Amino acid sequence: MGFPNGHNRTGKGFDMPSRRARRTTRVAVAAAGALSVTAAVLVAVASAPEAAAAATTFTPVADTYVDNSATGTNYGTSGQLGVDNSPVKRIFLRFTVSGLSASVTNAKLRLHTDDVSGSNSPAGGTARVLSDNTWSETGTTWSNQPAVDGATLTSLGAVNRNAWYELDVTSAITGNGTFSLAVTSTNSDGADYDSRESGSTTAPQLVVTTNATTTTTPPTTNQPSADPVLVGAGDISDSGSGDTATAALLDNIPGTVFTAGDNVYDNGTASEFNTYYNPTWGRHKARTKPSPGNHDYNTSNASGYFGYFGSLAGPANRGYYSYDLGNWHIVSLDSEITKSAGSPQEQWLRADLAASTKPCTLAYWHKPRWTSGSNHAPDTTATPLVQALYDYNAEVIVTGHNHQYERFAPMNPSGTADSARGLREFVAGMGGAGFYGFGTIQPNSEARNNNTHGVLKFTLHANSYDWQFVPEAGKTYADSGTGNCH
Amino acid sequence: MMSIKSKILTALGAAVVLGGAAVFYVAESAPAEVVLPDNVSEVTQSGATMQVLTNGVLSTVSAADTRGPRHLTNRKCDRAYTSAGTVVCLLPVDALVGTKLVVLDNKLTERKTVPLTGFPNRLKVSGSGRMVSWTVFLDGHSYATTGFSTQTGILDTQSGTVVHSLEEFAPTVDGRPYKAADINFWGVTFASDDNRFYATMSTGGKRYLVQGDFARKTVRTLTTNVECPSLSPDGKRIAYKSAIDADPKKGWRLSVMDLSTLRSTPLAETHSVDDQAIWLDNATVGYGLQRDDGTNDVWSVPADGPGQPKLLIEGANSPSPPA
Repeated sequence: MGFPNGHNRTGKGFDMPSRRARRTTRVAVAAAGALSVTAAVLVAVASAPEAAAAATTFTPVADTYVDNSATGTNYGTSGQLGVDNSPVKRIFLRFTVSGLSASVTNAKLRLHTDDVSGSNSPAGGTARVLSDNTWSETGTTWSNQPAVDGATLTSLGAVNRNAWYELDVTSAITGNGTFSLAVTSTNSDGADYDSRESGSTTAPQLVVTTNATTTTTPPTTNQPSADPVLVGAGDISDSGSGDTATAALLDNIPGTVFTAGDNVYDNGTASEFNTYYNPTWGRHKARTKPSPGNHDYNTSNASGYFGYFGSLAGPANRGYYSYDLGNWHIVSLDSEITKSAGSPQEQWLRADLAASTKPCTLAYWHKPRWTSGSNHAPDTTATPLVQALYDYNAEVIVTGHNHQYERFAPMNPSGTADSARGLREFVAGMGGAGFYGFGTIQPNSEARNNNTHGVLKFTLHANSYDWQFVPEAGKTYADSGTGNCH
Repeated sequence: MMSIKSKILTALGAAVVLGGAAVFYVAESAPAEVVLPDNVSEVTQSGATMQVLTNGVLSTVSAADTRGPRHLTNRKCDRAYTSAGTVVCLLPVDALVGTKLVVLDNKLTERKTVPLTGFPNRLKVSGSGRMVSWTVFLDGHSYATTGFSTQTGILDTQSGTVVHSLEEFAPTVDGRPYKAADINFWGVTFASDDNRFYATMSTGGKRYLVQGDFARKTVRTLTTNVECPSLSPDGKRIAYKSAIDADPKKGWRLSVMDLSTLRSTPLAETHSVDDQAIWLDNATVGYGLQRDDGTNDVWSVPADGPGQPKLLIEGANSPSPPA
């Protein structure tokens, strides 16, 4: 990168976010370099080696460092990453690993030291794991830095200026997914590395090697499976064509269909159900298990909703009910009626969960307890329902209301990340209605999109689940993953 | 230790400030050793800064190095603005508590609060720092929908006068006194006299540019299809969002209008911009754009039409002009 032109780091390697430039590059990198476990390995100077091998290289989707001598300062857009013990500087990097079709045999974090005097250090730092994948590149400071709560991996020895160094991080990179790493130092003479903003030739890299180059066929949506599928979305049918596109997805996905409320706009009338919903999602009515939203309740007592779905919507005019799919207990709730502790709905939910014999539980309703959407604030009145689900070790909550897709990390009812017992909440308001913007991104939000209609598909395994955002035809947004039952 | 680049920047800044005939032994091929004492730790943002929100956190960044270190405060806002030492913030809303306007001095000490009902949307301070104006959504949340309603207010920080709603003002449409139940205002910008202002007024399906007189409590229409005007530093033009085909459902083109001719020029930004733009200087307009994942960025674009948008501040929105 240019020197000392710190005022103008525009140009190479710095993409234009709203232009949707993709950051992940895939470069074949030699996997042959012998790695010692704890010592630094100087691989090459100034540029990445290129050779044909079964390795995939990822650049960070976010990188920054924090500095305890400037506790309120963020360095996310700068071209360098500092690690030091005086003042204390810590580097944070986040990688999104995707496209792997075999298990990981090796993963290396590659860092390039700045081509400036003083970037060298007698100890280049230690790679560590953190569980928080939601820290922000431009918002992380010393004061609000994520906890470095995971394993300590490997350390570098002395590092020189303008050179590449590798840290073995194999144990942290388990496959496809999002991974955050920290680099810390106990040496008061720190090192400075190039950040992803420095350009593609010096940006940090994660080089992931898998055990085979053979083309393993990943499971596809058409592959027959004994495990049940639950698929759907909220905020579905209006006079527009969004629900036509999402209904077409359902045509090719077998299983049970859920709705997360606001089945029709604007007023939930019988006429709107017949005019808007019935020709699209109505094709799948017989296998649909709906839930009502505020627009459904714009017609008094949601009579249009209950009239259209009949017994599919549970007991007449009640709004909440449950059913089982394989090893899963599924609960459809009603966010538009009282859900306070002690209310009939909350009492019913507790009794229902207590009576369930299934090891895994998923619940859905309309208004999200957690959301980063700008149009509707989080619905804290849903907390008693969330608490009941948490008390009975449920796994997943699906909601809508904000017209967009969002996925949160598993959280406890107070909104703290909880990987042991937390509930993973989805906002699946991308069923067809026009999109809403995002406001402040809330803690533990892991994925978001508001330009792609789609459906959220769950494959419900005996003791785990897969989620998959299935985009409308012509769009590419994807989000998928796996969670375990508690 | 402090990063060497920061040290050099600091050294350069110091040299400039001192006005000395410093000689720099720096070059691409052979960077010089520039050694500073380790106690130069905090990167000071001397010179002009820009205030932004970083995911809802009030922040400042050097106007000359908008990709440099960013100072994050502890204050959270849904919308913020600053001018001439007056810092204003619309507090985030949650399910139980509404927003309020908080007026702060440049040390972020609270000077005044005005409780508000609705969702924060626009916020601006006049060039002098005296007049504060805001817009919140009462019903609905988007200018692209039908049936939304807004409330726009003004605070005179000098007299303490609060106009809770511009709907208290007497409107004149096309020269005639006007009365209607469907009037909404949004996006106020004040002229340098701290009395004349411009805003959007919607009624009867049209969105008018109005010129207002704060003392006389009047507004009159100038032209149509102008939203969220922002007056240029020289007071001659407004940057604004112009609904494509006069239909907000199709999005907005960021444009500049000459107030003497009411002639409009579309700017080079082709993404739909739903923001009240700012002027970085008399030739450059700044605005926020949101990515598909909800991350915001501040962009700039030439105010005269040709050219290209430039990414100015990554991961930020609600910018204020350099100060």
